[in-house]
Amino acid sequence: MRTRMISFAATVVFTAIPALLPTPAIAQESVYLLKNVTVHPVTSKTVENVSVLISNGKITGIGKTLRAPAGAKVMDLAGMHVFPGMIDSATDTGLTEISAVETTNDTGELGEFNPQIRVEVAVNPASEHFPVVRANGTTTMLVLPGGTGGGRAGGDQAPKTIQGQASLVHTDGWTWEEMTLNAGTGLQIRWPSIPQVSPRMAAMRGIRVPKFEESKKKQQEQVESLKAFFEGARRYQQAKVAGDPTFETDLKLEAMLPVLEGKRKVVIMANTERYIKEAVAFAKQQKLPMVLAGATEFGDTLPLLKENNIPVILGPTYELPPNEDDAYDYAAALPAKLYKAGVKFCFGSYGTQFARNLPYNVANAVAHGLPLEEGLKAVTIYPAEIWGVANQIGSVEEGKWADLIVTDKGDPLETTTDVKHMFIKGQPVNLESKHTKLYEKYLNRPKTTAPEKP
Amino acid sequence: MKKAFLALLVLAASVLAGPPPHLAIRNARIIPVSGPVIEKGTVLVRNGLIEAVGTNVTVPAGVWVIEGDALTVYPGLIDALSSAGLPQPSSGNRGSASGPATPPQTARAWGPEDRPGTTSWQKAIDLFKPTEASVAAARNMGFTTAVVFPTSGIAAGQGSAVQLGGEHAGAMVLEPSVGQYLTMQPTGPAAGYPSSLMGVIAYLKQLYLDAGQYAKAKQLYAENPKGLARPTYDRALEGILASPRVLLPADRSIHITRMIALSKNLGQPLVIYGGAEGYNAVSALQASNTPVLVNLKWPEAPADRDPNTEDSLTTLTLRAKAPTTPATLAKGSVKFALYTGGIEKAADLQSSVQRALDAGLSREDLIRALTLSPAEIFGLSDRLGSIEPGKIANLVVTKGELFGKDSKIEHVFIDGVKYEPKPESPRRGPGASNSATEEGDRQ
Amino acid sequence: MRIPFTWLRYFLPLRPNALLRRAAGMSIGALFAVSTLFAQTIAIQNGTIYTVTKGTFTGTIVLRDGKIAAVGPNVSVPAGATVIDAKGQHIIPGIIDCHSHIAVESINEGSVSVSAMVGVGDNVDPEAIAIYRALAGGITIANVLHGSANSIGGQNVLLKMRWGKDADALLFEGATPSIKFALGENPKRAGNTPAARYPATRMGVEDVIREAFTDAKNYQKRWQDYEAKKQRGERAIPPRKDLKLDTLVEILEGKRFVHAHCYRADEILMLLHIADDFGFKIRTLQHVLEGYKVADEIAAHGAGASTFSDWWAYKVEAYDAIPYNAAIMHKRGVLVSLNSDDAELMRRLNTEAAKVMKYGGLSEDEALAMITINPAKQLAIENRVGSIEVGKDGDLVIYDKHPLSTYAVVQKVFIDGQEYFDQAKAHTEVSQREAERERLLKEEAARKKPETKGKDKAEDAEKPAQERSSK
Repeated sequence: MRTRMISFAATVVFTAIPALLPTPAIAQESVYLLKNVTVHPVTSKTVENVSVLISNGKITGIGKTLRAPAGAKVMDLAGMHVFPGMIDSATDTGLTEISAVETTNDTGELGEFNPQIRVEVAVNPASEHFPVVRANGTTTMLVLPGGTGGGRAGGDQAPKTIQGQASLVHTDGWTWEEMTLNAGTGLQIRWPSIPQVSPRMAAMRGIRVPKFEESKKKQQEQVESLKAFFEGARRYQQAKVAGDPTFETDLKLEAMLPVLEGKRKVVIMANTERYIKEAVAFAKQQKLPMVLAGATEFGDTLPLLKENNIPVILGPTYELPPNEDDAYDYAAALPAKLYKAGVKFCFGSYGTQFARNLPYNVANAVAHGLPLEEGLKAVTIYPAEIWGVANQIGSVEEGKWADLIVTDKGDPLETTTDVKHMFIKGQPVNLESKHTKLYEKYLNRPKTTAPEKP
Repeated sequence: MKKAFLALLVLAASVLAGPPPHLAIRNARIIPVSGPVIEKGTVLVRNGLIEAVGTNVTVPAGVWVIEGDALTVYPGLIDALSSAGLPQPSSGNRGSASGPATPPQTARAWGPEDRPGTTSWQKAIDLFKPTEASVAAARNMGFTTAVVFPTSGIAAGQGSAVQLGGEHAGAMVLEPSVGQYLTMQPTGPAAGYPSSLMGVIAYLKQLYLDAGQYAKAKQLYAENPKGLARPTYDRALEGILASPRVLLPADRSIHITRMIALSKNLGQPLVIYGGAEGYNAVSALQASNTPVLVNLKWPEAPADRDPNTEDSLTTLTLRAKAPTTPATLAKGSVKFALYTGGIEKAADLQSSVQRALDAGLSREDLIRALTLSPAEIFGLSDRLGSIEPGKIANLVVTKGELFGKDSKIEHVFIDGVKYEPKPESPRRGPGASNSATEEGDRQ
Repeated sequence: MRIPFTWLRYFLPLRPNALLRRAAGMSIGALFAVSTLFAQTIAIQNGTIYTVTKGTFTGTIVLRDGKIAAVGPNVSVPAGATVIDAKGQHIIPGIIDCHSHIAVESINEGSVSVSAMVGVGDNVDPEAIAIYRALAGGITIANVLHGSANSIGGQNVLLKMRWGKDADALLFEGATPSIKFALGENPKRAGNTPAARYPATRMGVEDVIREAFTDAKNYQKRWQDYEAKKQRGERAIPPRKDLKLDTLVEILEGKRFVHAHCYRADEILMLLHIADDFGFKIRTLQHVLEGYKVADEIAAHGAGASTFSDWWAYKVEAYDAIPYNAAIMHKRGVLVSLNSDDAELMRRLNTEAAKVMKYGGLSEDEALAMITINPAKQLAIENRVGSIEVGKDGDLVIYDKHPLSTYAVVQKVFIDGQEYFDQAKAHTEVSQREAERERLLKEEAARKKPETKGKDKAEDAEKPAQERSSK
């Protein structure tokens, strides 16, 4: 009785202490033992009938003979499969609630060069999209401040050049600070391109279609401006390092320093051979680590990308071919092409409303020639490597964050596989969402017969 | 100097308002079109009409004779769809089947009753100005007649067949109303209904239905008005009813079949204009006996655009094969005429024609498509389109074969009156031509 | 409609441009290698057959004269039949998309609130590449609708994806004509400029519809009066025949189906009441993303529901959309189909169907029914299509894997007992087309060369980009 009271008191005290202390990023110490699962580490062979130990947010053990420490929550998940949580490398989830309603959109800030703006501060942790998106297995997303396509949604603004810092966020957390896994992972740059306006569209909007020479000149000017901005940043860097007495802090240029030092990748959105080549040449000349985004038409640039070790964020395979004469399965076959050309890539949903279908896009790529393991890696370890966080996430390995999904069947890329449990940083994640709640509610609406006449 | 004197003479002749001269072109090569070629023969013209043509034509004394040893005589060319003589807006579309012809801005239309884009009562001849530079420019290329249409709007108005030379507009009219020019151009979002292609089609169906009902109502009322509601005068419907046929645009073969089907709803004989993919629609045209006005301005890649633009196979194929349309239609016995479609320079016309010839069109069929066929299509073949006694003396006289290499147009006759074509100046220079038409950028 | 991610597309027209033509004298059919096994008897053996209505089994299907002549586990192959071995493959009925906008040159007549006189069927483009791409995704029938710019929109057209045939030959013979209605945000704002066109609220939407049917009833009466006068031998000028009102009268007389785009539960009820008041039925509610909230009312009226699997949050009225919508309505007795409303999504309605198993726990057959027999019933064509049964049209899709798997790839598609798509041939055609393109480009360049001395050198330098090798 006494020991029971002491242990009860101890429990009260020990649970109270965290409540008294300033709340750390991880809510509370928790230990979980997932028993009798098949683990798919992704970086090594699948192992059956093992247990996974999670403590302090990390994966601390994978093995057949793990013992649950005292206080651990033991979950018998016989027949289930553990995968790394999936990583979506291009999204605006958290920045937009209803795309047609401009006030709910926070993508695409005004101003041509905004390297200093940080996307994570605008991510809404309470967005209804996060619970929806993570229910199919996404645990981390790279949120793009400039949005994933076009200028300001609903506006006629042309997309800006340097759009801000993209960051990796977990898909669950009380605050954006908690959710941010890696701030300023990449600098989002949209490569200046000539907008394609068909004469018909132009007639409809009452705008003039400029001559090509004119447009090309303008585009080259924009490229020169971008180069000039980088030059300016370098001079700032030199002045700062040299301890110039007249030096004054400039937030925009401060934000360029990690880029120039190679610590923050440049995520350049460029499409078609012409612009991809220009972007690669720029990154080379500026000696910047580049990641290519937003490309569907690579032309002959795959060898160039491989040569320069430039990874690619591929978009949905559920896309129509860009040109009339392209093969009907162009988009689905593209990942296999990149794989065969030795170009490293990861997948991004490039959206919000369909972000939950990321795994099915991967399946489509696998159906068209991409090996299954490569497909899985392209949403787990490869993006982790590309974004420089492979020591933290991307596979089921000891020492990494416990960002895990537990599925009822062995293939998370099939629609009929359900994610039954999810852990982010070792904490179980509620897989309910607005959708499941409405489902429950209306499933239980009492039956009515005839519509009531008003 | 001699030319100027002759020109003055001609001018004087017309000012004196006497009859056109009695003249003969002797010992020339003659292409009557309605019959076999006459290697050496004579054409006799009096009072603006062809009096005789053949190998045994007696030339009366006192007749002005042109020795035709090195000359060839053709019927004057007919431009089957033209805007010659019509004042043009800044860059008008000339009978292009797919170009936007912006209509005059009017109040927003809320339905077919508002008659959007409809100026069907308008006759081209009422807008025609003989002094427009385009008239002389057409004549210089060998055209003696043009079928001129208003082109702005959905039911743009009635075309008129006009001579490209004469004392005043009235005297130049061959036929004031030869067909209603219809387009598939929505009036544009601000102008209201119709704002879509299917809206235009539905509007035309309703318009022609209304015309039928209007005619019936007027007829009933005219027979005995007692007890009946008075039909409301509708000038749009008057214009529809006044036109003997409809012209509908179609470049793609699927549009050709669609317009053939639409014309059945409209209940009037159909003439297709544009016709670029006519080569693919021969059976549909044959089955419905539909004539085609083929635009000589073959589809080309737009200039000044991004050279990286990927043209689809469809687009490339059409560009490659459009010039085969005339030859294919000829082979399929589909009646067709050719029109200049906005080509203003003789050199451009020459290369367009050459492409059609290279694609298999015979010279004979080419000439027919510029003479007797358009006359037949517009119901003028009883008086125009070939060199036959009794027909109007519209002739074009060349050194060398018309549209041949190094050929030259020597004379153009309209109603028996001789015109000297001005030489084409190869380079644009100050005052080199009095053409008011926009020459555009050099290609 | 879904907005694809590539920024380029913000500026390009959203409809497919005019398409593949006969090149070099080859017919469309040949160029797209439609090995149309014309008027041949075909036996497809050893595949897993999902009849949808009569169970699933391994067996044989015999196609003859455009129809399914036999289907079963032990069907004998007629002499002279072309035999296709479908061992390890999976065969389902041709997929029917109940909501599409492909293959027509204009979709919306948005200038007026009632555009019943227009019809998308007046501007069918049989050469639209979207037809081919849909076919490659297993679609055999597309219910092509007018857009949603109007409370009462225009007439729809039902097409079979008979790629290579002309516009008339695409029409589904004898289909009941139909019309599109739209409720909610789209008809309110489609006037574009503020207050350019009534209505601006949902209240106005109801009014527009009620007024239109009132006008239609008056019109009916006018014609009845005129006919009566004629009967009595009185002289009268006939009333003006009005194409718009004619169409509305057809709805009142039950001769034209109404497919109504709607989202919110309140507007769904509003429309059902209107239909009841005027004595006709709504054939299907389209999108109907809040249908799950009023499923019983929909079932009681007898309207079908055609919805997305999992779209949501692109508009305010789609914010309460849930992927369980189809399952809830189905469980409450509504006839439910899944549609695409999108040229890309229609290529994978099979994986969309799989989602009702995930979201709502429906069975395989129920899932397949959503894209086959259910839309067939909604369109009143179930006597001809929608399942693999003797006597129905030979419309089939063969997959290499389970039809509801995200890995399944369409191998062959049959329409009217003829092969219209073959996956292997499709790929050889791509290189043929590319070769033809290169040839035409070279020809065109050669033709232009003599005229372009001293022309823009930049253009010459960039030319090779067009002639790039096959991707």
